[in-house]
Amino acid sequence: MSDSTNLSHTAALILQTVDNGWSYGFDIMDVTGLPSGTVYPALRRMENDGLISSQWEAEKHAAAEQRPKRKYYRITRTGAQALEYVRKRYALIGKLAAGKSRR
Amino acid sequence: MRPDDSTPVSVRFSRALIRIAARLVPVPRRQDWEEEWFAEIWHRWQFLFHAGAWNKREALSLTRNCLGAFPDAAALLILQENVYARLRSLARSPRVCLAALLVPLLGVAVFSSGFPATRQLLISPWQHNVSGLLFIWRHPVMTGGDRGLPPDVVPAWASESRLLEGAAGFTISQRSLLAPKSAPFQPLVVISDPRLFQVLKMTPVLGTVPKNSGVILDHRTWVSLYGANAGIIGSRVAIGNALFPIAGVLPASFPVLTRQPTVYLVEPQVPGRRVMVVARARAGASERQIDSELTKIAEDATYYFFRSELRFKFVKGAFLAPLGLFTLAISIATLLLVAAYRPNPVRAYRAWKTGDRKPMIRRAAFFSAKLALSLAFLFTAALEWSRSNSALLFGSRDPGSGPVLLWIYIAGSMWVFFWALADQRARCRVCLRLLCFPVRVGCPGCLLLDWSGTELLCTEGHGVLHVPHLAPSWAEEPEHWIALDESWHDLFAAAK
Repeated sequence: MSDSTNLSHTAALILQTVDNGWSYGFDIMDVTGLPSGTVYPALRRMENDGLISSQWEAEKHAAAEQRPKRKYYRITRTGAQALEYVRKRYALIGKLAAGKSRR
Repeated sequence: MRPDDSTPVSVRFSRALIRIAARLVPVPRRQDWEEEWFAEIWHRWQFLFHAGAWNKREALSLTRNCLGAFPDAAALLILQENVYARLRSLARSPRVCLAALLVPLLGVAVFSSGFPATRQLLISPWQHNVSGLLFIWRHPVMTGGDRGLPPDVVPAWASESRLLEGAAGFTISQRSLLAPKSAPFQPLVVISDPRLFQVLKMTPVLGTVPKNSGVILDHRTWVSLYGANAGIIGSRVAIGNALFPIAGVLPASFPVLTRQPTVYLVEPQVPGRRVMVVARARAGASERQIDSELTKIAEDATYYFFRSELRFKFVKGAFLAPLGLFTLAISIATLLLVAAYRPNPVRAYRAWKTGDRKPMIRRAAFFSAKLALSLAFLFTAALEWSRSNSALLFGSRDPGSGPVLLWIYIAGSMWVFFWALADQRARCRVCLRLLCFPVRVGCPGCLLLDWSGTELLCTEGHGVLHVPHLAPSWAEEPEHWIALDESWHDLFAAAK
């Protein structure tokens, strides 16, 4: 794992969005207003650093609704710790965290 | 999730983009990655469709979002694989070496717009009737330097010479030219009489050679000044302070005097006290015979030259001069290479007879291809640079031609030969990849009569090259290649 406390503002925003319960790539793009070329590479890096984890939703749920299954992202314990740190560093992220969560 | 007929074009296009981007993703994760993107596309489309918000703008937005798959795939590639190591491995391969040599050659082709000087050299002597065509000027013994000839000798030579089919005088200078609807520019202006074109055996592609006064444009000037307008024949153009009618346009492949933009001003009498002469010698006439005859005719016409004051330059020879210089340079470089490396043909023959021929042929082919590409680049780059605009006639005044070109060719071909050989020795004898992982063994100052040197390894496990720090004079080949047998291959495969 690389130095997870050294997150950029954009990465911190994406991490905060995932923490707020927006789990899918396109949803994160809508919420943050960031382009897919920024969001997805950031998600890959954070997953590689262990800040978030990805999982496929259950096949039976998707099959029941006759749709393809989606991959969702969740924040990990390490990610939560890193987020705690960056909230202090980036005041706006901290305010976002205090705002309404999706969960 | 196969797209049915009702799937919008934008969704299909987005999926196609994902499939293209997926080529970047490492194979083990490719399917997973594709499914994630396909699922996101499907959900976005379906959500907007059922919400009644699916329109052209959203379709475009979806496609734009899918462009992000490319940086995503690249990020995944960088995270999953050691791209730097992969690039280094790629850089060692012989194909990359050949591709890297091809790039500058293509660069010369692009920057010179398709090797015009090289094509001129290789094609023009055969395309045009240049046999026997020669330029004549004077090199006075007393004062030195190249000079023109008195205009009166030209008609005397043309009428009395048995060795010349014809001769015409001309002067050449840079003058300003003013054409309607174009900025003034300064082409080379060749002033001659109509006989010049008879001697050259050249007829204009447009218009005719004027009998009195008129201008014939070369093809390049016609295109750049008049946009290849065929209706310019008969219109007037200002050269210096006088107006002249345009009488004709020369073909694009007329490169005899120069490849600079040139205008031929035809006048009944060539003005000036000194003229250059273009003549066409009869078949079989030697330079010495021509010199002797022309000197005598000039003497009869009251002009006295010392013998051998006249200078001749055959056009065909001028065209082919760089080829001769290049051949000379390669010969010199080869001799130096042989003197430096002292190849042993007997040992090479023995190795050919006893060894495995397939890798030997492969090595020889690679070496030849490397040399051919490098020398082709050297030849064309130097020629295009030195003769991009030069006049064949004034090759001696052109800094890039003549001796400078020869020195460039000698230095360049030496470098190419030595580099090609050094590169060849630093490659695996089997797969031709550059050897790596240099390991120093021993110490020349510490181990008396013991081997010390550097070992280089083939990453594919084909062998090890031993390069001694000090090569003994009795050694036939200082470097020693040790081929590794197949039992090593598993080890190298596991290391990968």
